[in-house]
Amino acid sequence: MSVKSKIFSAMKQIAEEQKVALPPLEDDLPLNDTGFDSLALAILVARLEDELGIDPFTVAEDAAFPSTLGEFVRAYENVPA
Amino acid sequence: MRNILVTGGSRGIGLAIARRLAASGDYNVVAVARRESGELAAAIREAQRCLHFRACDLAATDAIPAFAKSVRDKFGAIYGLVNNAGIGTDGLLATMSNSQIEALIRLNVLSPIILTKYVARHMMADGVGRIVNISSIVASTGYSGLSVYAASKAAVTGFTRSLAREVGKVGITVNAIAPGFIDTELTSSLDDQGRRRITGRSALRRLPEADDVASMVEYLLGEGGRNITGTVLTVDAGNTA
Ligand SMILES: NC(=O)c1ccc[n+]([C@@H]2O[C@H](COP(=O)([O-])OP(=O)(O)OC[C@H]3O[C@@H](n4cnc5c(N)ncnc54)[C@H](OP(=O)(O)O)[C@@H]3O)[C@@H](O)[C@H]2O)c1
Repeated sequence: MSVKSKIFSAMKQIAEEQKVALPPLEDDLPLNDTGFDSLALAILVARLEDELGIDPFTVAEDAAFPSTLGEFVRAYENVPA
Repeated sequence: MRNILVTGGSRGIGLAIARRLAASGDYNVVAVARRESGELAAAIREAQRCLHFRACDLAATDAIPAFAKSVRDKFGAIYGLVNNAGIGTDGLLATMSNSQIEALIRLNVLSPIILTKYVARHMMADGVGRIVNISSIVASTGYSGLSVYAASKAAVTGFTRSLAREVGKVGITVNAIAPGFIDTELTSSLDDQGRRRITGRSALRRLPEADDVASMVEYLLGEGGRNITGTVLTVDAGNTA
């Protein structure tokens, strides 16, 4: 499974648990419009750390959190695992 | 068995907590300190695989993320975190060195916050967890010579209340315990007269013991603690009553 599809499937699972209706997942979808609140995003980052073994947002010194889904996925793709 | 991480578990209050939890049969306890003490080694032998030691200098906050991961990799999900490690450097503010002040705030405030971050995020992902922070009655009373220490302990209670709000909806509880004066290495600089004064001022005319704090931790981690969060529990033999 690609990093992207792992991220999407983790999002779908969390959406189900948190009873969030996810819109279609596309690259330019703003994270704010995913229906995920900050807590759900934190859970996502923690689950992905478990699954992928990386957390791109605490490694970086200038950790600006991405604003779209595409940027979020790229943050994971660009980290050397 | 549920994994509990107890920082400062090599002696004093932390060792009492680690021992009691391991003896309960409900928990697998990981005690953290810079070095394993003789007492902890003895307790580990006695506990028969329910108690373990992991070395970590928590003041080196950059190493905390990797440390938290190593504990998870070795033992699995962490159910409970007891932030107990701390130092009690005393001295008049006017004459304390800035490096002492920084070291105190670092270990007593920064370290537990960062460790909690890396442990709590997985608790969030798991949807369950208990966090207990060891504060002190000095956080809300006053004691000459302990202003910096008191500031660090008050920080812990503020952290506790707001974090409880933050993670409550994913099923994690966060509480603080405020012990009164307890005889440990941390308080060895207090002389007999000071000790008698504190005892005399306490409703029960005695000092609480490390194991009294351990009982409270056990309660908060157990079934009885499931609806207790965002609060500070005082264990001081009535010193502040
Ligand atoms: N005793 C009291 O009267 C009293 C009252 C209220 C609150 N408290 C609080 O209770 C907690 C425990 O106190 P205590 O009296 O049991 O103290 P203690 O006997 O001095 O034990 C402190 C523990 O913290 C560990 N520690 C110290 N520096 C560390 C570091 N850099 N990294 C990792 N671990 C470190 C020590 O192990 P190493 O030295 O091997 O690292 C030891 O296990 C503290 O937070 C204290 O503020 C104590």
